[in-house]
Amino acid sequence: MNHVLTIQTKNQPVVLERLLQVTRYRGFEVAGMEMKPMADFSGLLVTLSIVSDKPISLLTNQLNKLYDIDYLDCVESELTQTQASSMRA
Amino acid sequence: MKGAELVIKLLEQKGVEHIFGYPGGAIMPIYDALYQSKVKHYLCRHEQGGAFSAIGYARSSGKVGVCMATSGPGATNLVTSLADALLDSVPLVAITGQVSQAVMGTDAFQEVDVLGLSLAVTKHSFMVTDVTELEHTLNEAFALAMSGRPGPVLVDIPKDVQLAEVQFKPRLVEEAATAQQQFLPAAALDQARLLIQNAKRPIAYIGGGVHMADAVPQLQDFLANSAMPSVTTLKAMGTVPPSNPYYLGMLGMHGTQAANLAVQQCDLLICLGARFDDRVTGKLAAFAPDAKVIHIDIDPAELHKLRRAECAMLGDLRQLLPAMSVPTHCEDWLKHCVSMKQQHGWRYDHPGERIFAPLMLKQLSERMPDNAVVCCDVGQHQMWVAQHMSFSHPRNHLSSGGLGTMGFGLPAAIGAQLARPKDTVVTVSGDGSFMMNVQELGTIKRFRLPVKIVIVDNQRLGMVKQWQELFFNERYSETDLSDNPDFVSLAAAFAIPGHSISRKDEVLPALEAMFTWPGPYILHVRIDETDNVWPLVPPGAANQDMLTEKAL
Repeated sequence: MNHVLTIQTKNQPVVLERLLQVTRYRGFEVAGMEMKPMADFSGLLVTLSIVSDKPISLLTNQLNKLYDIDYLDCVESELTQTQASSMRA
Repeated sequence: MKGAELVIKLLEQKGVEHIFGYPGGAIMPIYDALYQSKVKHYLCRHEQGGAFSAIGYARSSGKVGVCMATSGPGATNLVTSLADALLDSVPLVAITGQVSQAVMGTDAFQEVDVLGLSLAVTKHSFMVTDVTELEHTLNEAFALAMSGRPGPVLVDIPKDVQLAEVQFKPRLVEEAATAQQQFLPAAALDQARLLIQNAKRPIAYIGGGVHMADAVPQLQDFLANSAMPSVTTLKAMGTVPPSNPYYLGMLGMHGTQAANLAVQQCDLLICLGARFDDRVTGKLAAFAPDAKVIHIDIDPAELHKLRRAECAMLGDLRQLLPAMSVPTHCEDWLKHCVSMKQQHGWRYDHPGERIFAPLMLKQLSERMPDNAVVCCDVGQHQMWVAQHMSFSHPRNHLSSGGLGTMGFGLPAAIGAQLARPKDTVVTVSGDGSFMMNVQELGTIKRFRLPVKIVIVDNQRLGMVKQWQELFFNERYSETDLSDNPDFVSLAAAFAIPGHSISRKDEVLPALEAMFTWPGPYILHVRIDETDNVWPLVPPGAANQDMLTEKAL
């Protein structure tokens, strides 16, 4: 199953490492990632494409606990496994 | 004032009385500010020992533990203790010095990426790059360490920030934390009450979250009102009084047979502040196979993580437990559990003259003063302590549960002794674990702490050896410690008296001598290397498939 997480974070340099560390440690694979600062530079907008057979709540529950994350939304992606694989390639 | 002075002033303002640490180059301004401060610093002999002392302080008192270290090796030496605090949800604030920002990223002397290192072993970590952020960051660190599911928080402070000038106006009164109004989940509570009322074989599975929520009285009321059997995790021992007839002891890999069998047979498992750890569940798919589950926790990530719950509630056990109290109708089940408890009770009729560790620990438990704190290390002795000693409160039993860190016991006892100077503190260690942080004998000597040290010595890494015997064809790879030092002489070098025993008839007089001695004391207890911990759930097996000594 593929999911797209839309995440709003505090403007901390370490926040991307935290997101990726938790995602890897909890056994989820990042198929794609985009990041841009918010318009007022108060934080970051991050989009993570995630591939996993496990329930995505096992990841979102952990990410939601991070102090630097202000908002997280998750939608099921229309990406197929093949597309996700090609993104990784 | 300087940033370094702000750090110490803020600790004073927060009422922090004791901190543990070790100075070094990048944290010298903070140590300079500490000089003549009201905050009492305890110099440990290794940063890991200092952080474990802070953990022992926190776990025995319910307060935040605070430790400090310098950059580079000072900070890396904290990592194991931070991981220990994370896995056991211990409120800890670690303050580390960092090299100045001007040289950060240049591989400067004693520079390491502490923020990067901390990601996997802390609840959260900060680096302060602007001295005007220092006060807010430290306040956040203390709040985070204690809030929700407690845990370790690290604050890394570059030396230039410590030396920078900043305005600080100490508050006359610390802002009182406002109790959060919790809206009780009415529908889930209705469901929970219905499940409890309809259950024929309910059981409470109690974890460390109960006492961390200060919900021990509510838990005991719940058990009394609902009249159901209970089991606890390693971390929750002491939550239920040992005198409770329906308390079956610890469950899991080295749990009691009654506890494991009852959980496997139950039709309703009420999991309170616990997390279905693999050492508890054994083969997860076969754990409590006929049970519906009610799961309550303060951490949303624990709900449904390993076991789907029919009824999951996020919240404060102090409020939720009273709202769940309903009578049960399970007299036959209670009788069955009591019968199993009697049938599988411990036996201490060990033949021969040599010391049988379970009996010795039972005698230690019976001889200890009321409200004594026991700090364990990790291995066979740790499981024997859990099986054969009794505790009146979880804060009286400090054991490294989640991380299973050898070397925990001695420094944790130092922290506990400082947190509770009027109570007796005993550390029970193994000959392997004791050597892991043996340098902290120097801390005991320096501060004249009356910690009682019991070393259960089988001249082996006993638990690993036991697994080699049972599961690795008796290939005893690197578990022989028969060249241990003379522990009594070693302690004597730190002006700590002691005694060595090897016969059963020596135990009671030796315990008497230890507890009547006013200062620190070491009791070296020689046991046989062939003694193992029973029962044992083999790896990958279900909890009803316990191995017992008789079965072998």
